[in-house]
Amino acid sequence: MSAGRPVPVPSSLSRPFWEAARRGELVVPHCPACGLRFLVPETACPGCLSRDWAYEPSSGLGTVYSVTVVHRVPGPGFDTPFALAVVDLDDGAVLLTHVADRAPDEVAIGMRVRVDFRPLTDEITLPYFVPAT
Amino acid sequence: MTAARQAVIVGVHATEQALSLPHRTAMDLALEAVQGAIADAGLTPADIDGAQADWPGPGGVPGEGSSWARMLGGGRNLRWTSDSMLDNAGSRGLLKAAAAVRAGYADTVVVGGCRLVSRGPDNAPIGAGVPLEFTDVWGSYVVAQFALVAARHMHEYGTTPRQLAEVAATIRNNGTTNPEAMMYGRGPYTADDVLASRLVATPFHLLDCCIVGEGGAAFVVTTAERARDLPHPPVAVLGGGMEYHQAAYANPALHREVGQIGRDAAARAFAMAGVGPHDVDVFSLYDPNSFEVIRQLEALGVCAEGEGGPLAASGAIALDGKHPVNPDGGCLSYAWNGTQQMTLKVVEAVRQLRGSAVHQIDGAEIAVVGNAGSGAQHYEMSVLGRTR
Repeated sequence: MSAGRPVPVPSSLSRPFWEAARRGELVVPHCPACGLRFLVPETACPGCLSRDWAYEPSSGLGTVYSVTVVHRVPGPGFDTPFALAVVDLDDGAVLLTHVADRAPDEVAIGMRVRVDFRPLTDEITLPYFVPAT
Repeated sequence: MTAARQAVIVGVHATEQALSLPHRTAMDLALEAVQGAIADAGLTPADIDGAQADWPGPGGVPGEGSSWARMLGGGRNLRWTSDSMLDNAGSRGLLKAAAAVRAGYADTVVVGGCRLVSRGPDNAPIGAGVPLEFTDVWGSYVVAQFALVAARHMHEYGTTPRQLAEVAATIRNNGTTNPEAMMYGRGPYTADDVLASRLVATPFHLLDCCIVGEGGAAFVVTTAERARDLPHPPVAVLGGGMEYHQAAYANPALHREVGQIGRDAAARAFAMAGVGPHDVDVFSLYDPNSFEVIRQLEALGVCAEGEGGPLAASGAIALDGKHPVNPDGGCLSYAWNGTQQMTLKVVEAVRQLRGSAVHQIDGAEIAVVGNAGSGAQHYEMSVLGRTR
């Protein structure tokens, strides 16, 4: 890992997300009461306040909704520039991520992407995205 | 005809603003801001019965506004206070103080505070930062979160980096000739200079982004009746509105959700004030970057959605334009001091309506103060008016 990069500290809400990521699976909170898929995990579904939501698998396929090429970061631990992107997952919910395996300047809004897990620490594996084709 | 309990601003004060103020403590700055605004109002600390002001300490719990009770009110207990930094600044602080004054919970409220980066036990930070596991790990931060909204706006409407650069150059050049500005004497800048500065997070270049510094500011709100025999012409709080979308920075700001945040607040605020966006003589808007000004021109209804770029680049936001924005140089050039930059926006609007601003807009009668943050995921605005 890159020294100084912020490392997620799993909470009771987020631990299943990070455990699945370590297995190479993307899971997303899903609320059966109202059908919403959402991130970040919260105590109650932000759509209907139901507490009976559960993590469900995602296909890991999505589309870049917006992207910025970050050249300067306030803290250590990042190789710049990188493509910081918002990805709309096909099956619902939105993730902030990096789109890798492509020059940052070539990552464009509308690009089709798929999840690509990469370990950060022994405990934390991050859901990067890469071009889907 | 002004109602007796119409809320008015009668005093303002901005401390020195600088990249770093190593000779000051946070409490010293907060005290200067509060005392300065009270003195500017022609009042004394004994006249104050509400304190919505940052309490950095030492002495008391950092952030707890009731700590001011020992220093204000002249031996009488305070009747109104606030603990949150955001409640102590800008339009949000103003509207809450105005609501208290109108309702009669308090008569004269001081709003303000300061930012000073922690330097030992005399300057304890207020609140501890908790890393956000779905955003911080990606190197996301305030500039990048705004950039994600700007990039999508550019994709949808064809807004260009040059239009952003025109905004930055225009506002920065106001600061170039403002002796109070941190960037006084630097510049002037052209759009080409902005585009030639190094990239921070596309589409933002260094000169598209605001400066960072330390300083304090405060203002005093009271009733029109109480203001009658005070030295400065009172500035009336004609209307206001606030909007909150979601927690700051925990999720990315999405253009489709917050690209027009402030539109509803503005519609309510203008209706309350009985004026429209084209009646506004001067805008004091949050400018953490060039794009956020373009976005606010649309949300405030100065122009239609998607037309903010061409409007801002047309010269309309310059001192001699139809919709002047941030004559003091804004956060891009005058000062950014944490949450109290929002209060500096109120200070500039009040000075404009008193006719005492450094870059005075001739005959300014109506001003709008727009505050926002985190992408922007929230917006607070007020409509202010000259009363005499």
